[in-house]
Amino acid sequence: MVRSTQMWLIATLLLAAGAAAQSPAPAERARVTHLLQRATWGVRPADVDAVMAMGIGKWLDRQLDPSRIDDAAAAERLKLYPSVQRDMTDAVTEFQRQQRLRQQAARQGARPDSMDAPDAARRRAAAGMRGDSAMMTAPPRQGANNPQLLLLDLSSARIARAVYTERQLEDVMTDFWYNHFNVYFGKGIDRYMVADYEATAIRPHVFGRFRDMLGATAKHPAMLFYLDNAMSVAANAPGPRGRGRGLNENYARELLELHTLGVDGGYTQQDIINVARAFTGWSFSRPGPRGGARIAFEFRRVQHDRDEKVVLGRQLPAGRGLEDGEAVLDLLARHPSTARHIARKLAERFVIDKPDSAFVDELAAVFTRTNGDLRAVTRALFTSKHFYDPSVYRAKVKTPFELVTSALRVTGAEVSRSRTMLQTLRTLGHLPYNAPDPTGYPSASEDWVNSGAMVNRMNFAIALGGGRLDGVRIDPRVLTSNTDVRDANDFVPVLLQRLIPGAGTEKLESTILRELAKAAEPVTDRDVRPAAALARQNAARALGLALGSPEFQRK
Amino acid sequence: MMDRRYFVKSGVFALLAMGLPPEFLTRSLLAQTTAAARKKTLICIFQRGAVDGLNMVVPFGEAAYYTSRRATAIRAPSRNGSGSAIDLDGFFGLHPALEPLHNLFGRNELAIVHAVGSPHPTRSHFDAQDFMETATPGVKSTRDGWLNRVLADTADDCDACTGRKLQDGAAHTAQHLTGQVAMGGAAALRGVALGSETPRAMRGRQPTLAIPDLDRFGVGGRDTAMQDAFTRTYGSEAGTIIGSAADGAFEAIEILKHANLAQYRPATGVNYPTTEFGRSLRQVAQLIKSGVGVEVAFVDIGGWDTHQAQGGAEGQLARRFQELSRGVRALYDDLGDRMDDVVLMTMSEFGRTVNENGTAGTDHGHGTCMMVMGGAVRGGKVYGDWPGLEREQLYEGRDLAVTTDFRDLFAEIVRGHLGASSMDKIFPGYAIDPARSRGLLRV
Repeated sequence: MVRSTQMWLIATLLLAAGAAAQSPAPAERARVTHLLQRATWGVRPADVDAVMAMGIGKWLDRQLDPSRIDDAAAAERLKLYPSVQRDMTDAVTEFQRQQRLRQQAARQGARPDSMDAPDAARRRAAAGMRGDSAMMTAPPRQGANNPQLLLLDLSSARIARAVYTERQLEDVMTDFWYNHFNVYFGKGIDRYMVADYEATAIRPHVFGRFRDMLGATAKHPAMLFYLDNAMSVAANAPGPRGRGRGLNENYARELLELHTLGVDGGYTQQDIINVARAFTGWSFSRPGPRGGARIAFEFRRVQHDRDEKVVLGRQLPAGRGLEDGEAVLDLLARHPSTARHIARKLAERFVIDKPDSAFVDELAAVFTRTNGDLRAVTRALFTSKHFYDPSVYRAKVKTPFELVTSALRVTGAEVSRSRTMLQTLRTLGHLPYNAPDPTGYPSASEDWVNSGAMVNRMNFAIALGGGRLDGVRIDPRVLTSNTDVRDANDFVPVLLQRLIPGAGTEKLESTILRELAKAAEPVTDRDVRPAAALARQNAARALGLALGSPEFQRK
Repeated sequence: MMDRRYFVKSGVFALLAMGLPPEFLTRSLLAQTTAAARKKTLICIFQRGAVDGLNMVVPFGEAAYYTSRRATAIRAPSRNGSGSAIDLDGFFGLHPALEPLHNLFGRNELAIVHAVGSPHPTRSHFDAQDFMETATPGVKSTRDGWLNRVLADTADDCDACTGRKLQDGAAHTAQHLTGQVAMGGAAALRGVALGSETPRAMRGRQPTLAIPDLDRFGVGGRDTAMQDAFTRTYGSEAGTIIGSAADGAFEAIEILKHANLAQYRPATGVNYPTTEFGRSLRQVAQLIKSGVGVEVAFVDIGGWDTHQAQGGAEGQLARRFQELSRGVRALYDDLGDRMDDVVLMTMSEFGRTVNENGTAGTDHGHGTCMMVMGGAVRGGKVYGDWPGLEREQLYEGRDLAVTTDFRDLFAEIVRGHLGASSMDKIFPGYAIDPARSRGLLRV
């Protein structure tokens, strides 16, 4: 079934691309294609036509106001992944209940479970390095609390949203900002909080104020747990010291280095310590053994360092509480180093690996002038003359996640829960929510291109082209044409035009045609492959070669 | 076990007999012969996250160590003591979880360098790893990694081979084999990182390879036609970043295909940890034993950023040490005699604070320690000038000071072991002075 749909797909692609080729404005078409390559998760010919019809300005206006875009179809699809939308308090409560059961079992001769090691690693370590694995005696994790199933749901939902949402720019920017304020799935209970973190601390703010997103991330339990601020308390705070509580600099350091000023932003080790002091007591409540408290931000006044602090030369007077942290965030959000740091990151991700400083300055100026209005900054990014400099067209290599989403979009694929997709992204080193370090995933082309990665990219293309990815198939609604695709000379050029818009593909075309011809030669005298089978095989090969081609790796 | 040189030559001749070898394959096989002549491999293990060097090799002779640490302190060696440091020289002791490595120290094949690190004051993982991997502390504009520059330095250049295209690969091969042209070439398998990403240290103009799983490394499975086709679609990409990456992939696949990897079994009694790290080390052994010409192998092991609940003789950090030492010892025993030609070196971006923090862990510090082992190592000794742990002896009043610049250590190893010579190119902006060598290698 899947294989036979391949041919139909190609037939449909043929029709779709036909109209596009006749556009009268090649330069404008190139601009639109470039914009969509960078501002969406993958360019379909119909997308280019639509933007050509309404104009870049109108498209950007619409995308920058996502609440006005009807996205019911995508929302419906996301209902397939209920554990993603599960309340994080419920999930953590259930996790803690199961953990207590496991610990009880573990006390009978096995080591207790640690909250910090990624689950898979912990299990491997337990299995490999000691015979008395806790996992063997403890009840297995169940249902939505099984981390492997949760991860499958999370990554499948992330792919589905990228492929299907009409609010493409919002989703792409959500990915950018999540990565900027990265939280790692693998750290303890963060696995139950990353979805909520993305939904409440990141996505609502991507076209809002930077200061609001900064505040939302600072107060979200996922971040408070990930960078240890939840347990950072004033050195002289009262309370049990048995678990060893005191000042922890982790969040303060990454806040300055990664979230705001940048590593050269002009701060000292003493600033880090004082910022950490300002955030003492920023923690979160969580349910006890009998339930009770929700998981929510909580300021613990008794743990707060009330002494005077100096941050970046600014005095924070003694005797204050929550205001200390808020004042630091205010200071950082309007600091010129922050504007430059954010501008550079945006330019590197969306325009070119090594952006001109003139361009970075231009974006930073918008950030500063608008007091961190991210709608204005995003608009400036995608309207700048630097963005439309033809020298940057197709100059970046897609990240693995972009490769996957764009391949699924251009092939009109029907995607649901997919283990092979998860495995593909894991092998390519770009599984959503799984960057362990606070730096998140890199965006420069060279960070994603090496020999091993190229092998994985080609294998992904072959698997998708051959219909061998579980949970992925061609949407039957696009199978409306009866066009004969048995003549490769007809379908390959049209296929390439659809898959790789805006690039010269003549060479690729002749290579693919040659390879198909070679594969069609009888293997032996008794080779009696029927024409239909050959056509299917040709279609699969052509699609695989196109998606794995150097041209499709670029954006 | 097949002799490496025999394999290479017979491989070339077998291909010649079948017709023209693909030019990339020709180059690789030639490169192997130069590697074979040198027969040396360097294995680098990067402990990402900044390992607590003071608990890895414990200065139990320092009173200040015990006044600075309580929950995380490792007891001084004691006769009845499991759970205490393993004495090395009356002052330093191994963390008890590193016990599998102790007997290598006794055999004088394991050397420790203490108080080693970067002169740069950064306490950012990101920056410090970058600086260590580019070997240019404080300079962020360095594009390539230090190990890539080592590979460039040790490559024997043959102009025809290093260019991407050979007009007549077979004839050129014959010229090399009959000695008419000096051996040379560049092959992706000279530098291999186990994992899905090429580490910064290996990036650069010399082709290197990141391999997540050796056993499944290939394009298109049994459908060899697809790989052939891809070889051609990438043929027009010469010189681009994706073109050379793909080129390196195809050549490596061809070589590995002929290397009989499936025949590899770990030596009797050798058990690698069944972790990512253990699997990576196992594959390093597999590559080295297959004789495919690996000169630099790189393996990451994470989990060292112990800000909280670090533990002492047992606990979080002890479990990391256990995985590290069991894995390394398995590799060491698996390679057996071949360790005469292998040096294994550990590294980490910086150390951790001498004092514990408030969450029973340690924060980002400065100096740390590194291990160097192999048949050519003058082991059984803790090298380096010990700066002491009294408050006034600490770096910025809180961290172990650095008395050995990591570049001096790296330089000593690659010069002595791999025969690297252009120190000014490998360590730009830093004058390597042989007088600062610690004398770690029998050269």
